[in-house]
Amino acid sequence: MSVSSVIEQPLDLIRASLDERVLIKMKADRELRGTLHAYDQHLNMVLGNVEETINEIVVNDNTNEQTVKTTKRKIGMLFLRGDGVILVSPPLRTK
Amino acid sequence: MSKRTPGDFLKSVVGRPVVVKLNSGVEYRGILTCLDGFMNIALEQTEEYINGIRVSSFGDAFVRGNNGLFAAFFGVNYFISILHSTGKVKKSIMLRQHTKECQY
Amino acid sequence: MLFFSFFKTLVDKEVIVELKNEVSLKGTLHSVDQYLNIKLNNVEIVDEQKYPYLGCLKNCFIRGSTVRYIQLPAADVDTDVLQDATRKEHQVNKK
Repeated sequence: MSVSSVIEQPLDLIRASLDERVLIKMKADRELRGTLHAYDQHLNMVLGNVEETINEIVVNDNTNEQTVKTTKRKIGMLFLRGDGVILVSPPLRTK
Repeated sequence: MSKRTPGDFLKSVVGRPVVVKLNSGVEYRGILTCLDGFMNIALEQTEEYINGIRVSSFGDAFVRGNNGLFAAFFGVNYFISILHSTGKVKKSIMLRQHTKECQY
Repeated sequence: MLFFSFFKTLVDKEVIVELKNEVSLKGTLHSVDQYLNIKLNNVEIVDEQKYPYLGCLKNCFIRGSTVRYIQLPAADVDTDVLQDATRKEHQVNKK
């Protein structure tokens, strides 16, 4: 059940997700879901069939109301620079 | 519990439930699987909390080391969070005192 | 070095470089170095309306650290080769 036996260092977790769908949380309220094809120690990555979700807080000038605007887009193949990465999560394993 | 170096301390909490708080204020609660020299960490059974509210959960999670983890590990939040989840009263009292010492 | 080698295989291909300041540049990848600094030729600004003054840009150098994403031509990326190279790199970096 536990994956800790195989995982000695955090990057092993990412290695175990190669060729799998992963969720990546990025700075500036962006999230990416895609198939992990490559990564390095900086967390630079190449992802395939990516869906990016951007959450922006929009302030209405008149009412000063804050709303969250969510934009999504799809990208076939994407290189992403590691310095923007906050969290990487492999697909949920069935327990 | 009291170890000499921060590194020893961190090794001693591997496998235990922790809260990792980022600079942004977002918290990740989970079981610390491992960490490396960059302070990258791996968590199991991770839950994401924003403003104390659980917003999502991930089975496993990798958190990149440069997101203000440092403060989280040695800050008061971190100690408090360990005692939340150990479930051992003796230990939590000990840690709580330790926490107070840190705070004041 | 993984991504340096990878980008060398994409020289002369068309890419879209998205910078951290939201500017997107479409162009032909001329060259890349170990820091993933990039030279682009035949540059077009993706959102010309938003950045009209960038319209006169024909070729440029981009400092690697300012990059957020690079959209790649999926047909020119061999994902199997990438994944193998990533596993090798992972092994090498493991102490």
